[in-house]
Amino acid sequence: MGEPILHVEGVHAFIGKHHILQGVSFEAREGQITVLLGRNGAGKTTSLRTIMGLVPPSQGSIRFKGEAIARLKPFEIARKGIGFVPEDRGLFNLLTVEENFRVAMLREDEMTRKRLEMIFEIFPDLQRFWKAKAGILSGGQKQMLAIARPLINPNELLLVDEPSKGLAPIVVEHLIEALHKLQAHTVVILVEQNFYMASRLGTHFYLFDDGRTVHRGPMEELLHDEEMKKKYLGISKTSSGGIQE
Amino acid sequence: MRPSSRPWLAKWIVVGIFLLPLLFIGLKTYITLTVSGLAMGMLFFLVASGFSLIFGFLSVLNLAHGALFAWGAYIGFTSFSLINRWTGWGGSESFLLNMAIFLSALIFSGLLVGLLGILTERLVIRPVYGSHLFQIFITVGAMIVLEELIRVVWGPDDEVMPVPLKFIGSLDLFDVVLSKYPLVAIGLGSAIYLAIHLILKKTRIGTIVRAGVENPEMVQVMGHNIYRYFTGVFAVGSALAAIGGGMWATFVKSIHPAMGGEVIVFALIVAIIGGLGSMTGSVIGALMVGLSYNYVAYLVPKGALGITMLLLVVILLVRPTGLFPEGT
Amino acid sequence: MKERGLTPVQAFRTRERKGRFTAPSFFLRILLLAFLGATPFLFRSFELTDVILKIIIFSTLVASYDILLGYTGIVSLGHVLYFGIGSYFVGIFMGRLGWVSYGPLLLAFALAVLTSGILSILIGFFSLRIRAIFFAMVTLAFMEFAFILASQLRTITGGDDGISFKLPGILSVEANFGRFGGIDLTGRIVSYYFILVVCFALFLMMLRFVNSPLGRVLLSIRDNEQRSIAIGYKTYLYQVMASTFSSCVAAITGGCFAIWVRYVSPESSLSVPIMLDVLLMVIVGGMGTLYGGILGAAFLMTTRAFLPKIQGIVTSLLPGMPWAIRFSERWLLFFGLLFILIVYFFPKGILGTVQERFERKRET
Repeated sequence: MGEPILHVEGVHAFIGKHHILQGVSFEAREGQITVLLGRNGAGKTTSLRTIMGLVPPSQGSIRFKGEAIARLKPFEIARKGIGFVPEDRGLFNLLTVEENFRVAMLREDEMTRKRLEMIFEIFPDLQRFWKAKAGILSGGQKQMLAIARPLINPNELLLVDEPSKGLAPIVVEHLIEALHKLQAHTVVILVEQNFYMASRLGTHFYLFDDGRTVHRGPMEELLHDEEMKKKYLGISKTSSGGIQE
Repeated sequence: MRPSSRPWLAKWIVVGIFLLPLLFIGLKTYITLTVSGLAMGMLFFLVASGFSLIFGFLSVLNLAHGALFAWGAYIGFTSFSLINRWTGWGGSESFLLNMAIFLSALIFSGLLVGLLGILTERLVIRPVYGSHLFQIFITVGAMIVLEELIRVVWGPDDEVMPVPLKFIGSLDLFDVVLSKYPLVAIGLGSAIYLAIHLILKKTRIGTIVRAGVENPEMVQVMGHNIYRYFTGVFAVGSALAAIGGGMWATFVKSIHPAMGGEVIVFALIVAIIGGLGSMTGSVIGALMVGLSYNYVAYLVPKGALGITMLLLVVILLVRPTGLFPEGT
Repeated sequence: MKERGLTPVQAFRTRERKGRFTAPSFFLRILLLAFLGATPFLFRSFELTDVILKIIIFSTLVASYDILLGYTGIVSLGHVLYFGIGSYFVGIFMGRLGWVSYGPLLLAFALAVLTSGILSILIGFFSLRIRAIFFAMVTLAFMEFAFILASQLRTITGGDDGISFKLPGILSVEANFGRFGGIDLTGRIVSYYFILVVCFALFLMMLRFVNSPLGRVLLSIRDNEQRSIAIGYKTYLYQVMASTFSSCVAAITGGCFAIWVRYVSPESSLSVPIMLDVLLMVIVGGMGTLYGGILGAAFLMTTRAFLPKIQGIVTSLLPGMPWAIRFSERWLLFFGLLFILIVYFFPKGILGTVQERFERKRET
């Protein structure tokens, strides 16, 4: 637990004329799964995209392993060891599962083979459907592929955007298991609307509101803070004890 | 919205185009027409495929594509004349030497226009990525400039395109007349299609290009400098147009500075029918247009263009996005 | 019922309307009109009058295209099709059918407008089903098709050679009403004023159209189609209306053009180069500003008329190398380069960019 692997400080970003990020700061450390929470439009996805270089920051700094990456192009950032799983999964549906990995692979060597074995262990379906076109996979399998793909490279940081979207609860359980296993191999920053998933997986959280990071802390803190959950996430406990969003 | 995959429709139309004319035309004429139709189709394919690939991968509408086609024809013309002056292979009795000079001229033309394409992409296309409207505008300007440059370098008049000796004339096979050059065109065109197909399907670069047609942003996110690929694909597309230009010139035996404009409309129609961004679509679409044009031209001389437009309208009504989806 | 005065929208519009007759731009327009009206007398030379009239006709054509492109956001590359239809109806009626009198002339215009309107509705049907960029290419294909049709159907259209014809009564070349203000009042002059009046009327109509509530809806569709649909506008209907209106205007300008040159052929009324010209004019002048068409047309027509002359002088000064001579002869080349530069630096056209700068200054 030393320096954070990713350090985002005071970042502002515009999309067109809209000032989406108005001062975002957060970190990710080894051994942690950091969750970004907040309402729709609060700036979580844009933050990930800004880290990845898809949106240029107008202010602030982004440091990965101590190196400033804010002004780099997306492909350069990817090569530094950051993987990205976007909201729409970004799969190449006309290509096979194998070809999807081929595009993702940055080199083809012994280590890549080992990583593929690891991937097959965590996501056995991908091995089974290796030669199938990505488009025919089920929703859950597609999500697995989307998450597994960047892992073929020794990425030390994985940015995952709303993986549970549109998935059935049992599939979400699978996903949670898989991501747990990943914790050992890579640092994960997760954007999630599904609070259940976020709370099961996340070790630390950051709350986003209106383009700013307004609160942070270890996950246990948030689990019991009903006021904050209601204020920033719109979640409230019904009197019968269930969670309603 | 319509379901996105109905390959059987394409097959039926192709079959229809192949078989229906048999009802009206004698078998021997039919074979002759089929050969010239396939050859014409192959030429359309070369031009349309470059355009389609560029649109599919870069999402760029390059209206200057026709001008690059014309440049290909002119460079092919000059290099052929030069090589011929040097070696005399063009007039030789040996089919192989004829082929050699022909291919050399084409390859040289392809390479040079490929470079021209790289230049065009860097200077003219890069600034307008993302806006189809401005692409139309600026490529129109580029088209004017390129066409005028042809007039500067070669002069504004038409030129006669030399044809290798052994390509002229026709074979008589069991009473069926087969023009020689169309056969060459079919062979060459098929070889090129096969080459592109294999590169796209089997090589890493090809796979990345196919991925980029679907989602260029994601390809970047995976660590590939997509801009380099853009330039490369643009160059290849331009080279294809150039080779198409050289071969087309040999087909019609003449070149003139405005020749790009004539062909671009056909290439456009082929690309739309086949589906922008699809190589398979370009081939099938091109063959359909080439064949139907030739059959109808024989039966109803003035109706040939009409059938092409009819085809376009029918496809647009039935499958507005074209026969094949992007990236196939 | 409104008890407390006007709604914000009404207030805005009233303010707008009040400013209309006092703004400096209004006086500029009156000046322009006066200038155009006096042209045959100011410039005794026929050549200049010819250039000016072509500017008038093409400004109107480009303005109609701007309604499509700049206001509704529809990218069509076959707009000149309607221009050609207008020209050909006049040409066929006057020339091929030989009905040289006023009635048939008006009939020709009416039929041209009707045909264009119906055609644009049919073609518009496609726009519902395909992406914008496909639509652009399809319209180009259709225009090419019409071009080839016109070239092939010799009996009706006179084929590639086209149709030369005479005009009826006061418009004909023979007519002469004596001298006035230093020039002969020939049928040509009458035609000039006829066309000027028609184009002026069309322009006013177009202005009315874009400044009407209908025009506003079009702008909203252009800016954010999804939103417009969400608010409840049947965007398709509005797009069809705009495109029909603009095609009818184009048809009338085509008829006017035929009257002026007394000749129609595929090359002069239906060809892709003319469409390119229109495109160039709309870009140079500015999209979304009808007046941009005037600027663009003026730019193109004057360059076309005078650049070859300047270049002739330049050529005579150059050494005798064929390349150098050919290079300087190709003024179109410089035009193309100039055009590319204009697109780079003035993406909204010259007028559009200027307008933007003014608006920005106004806000700060």
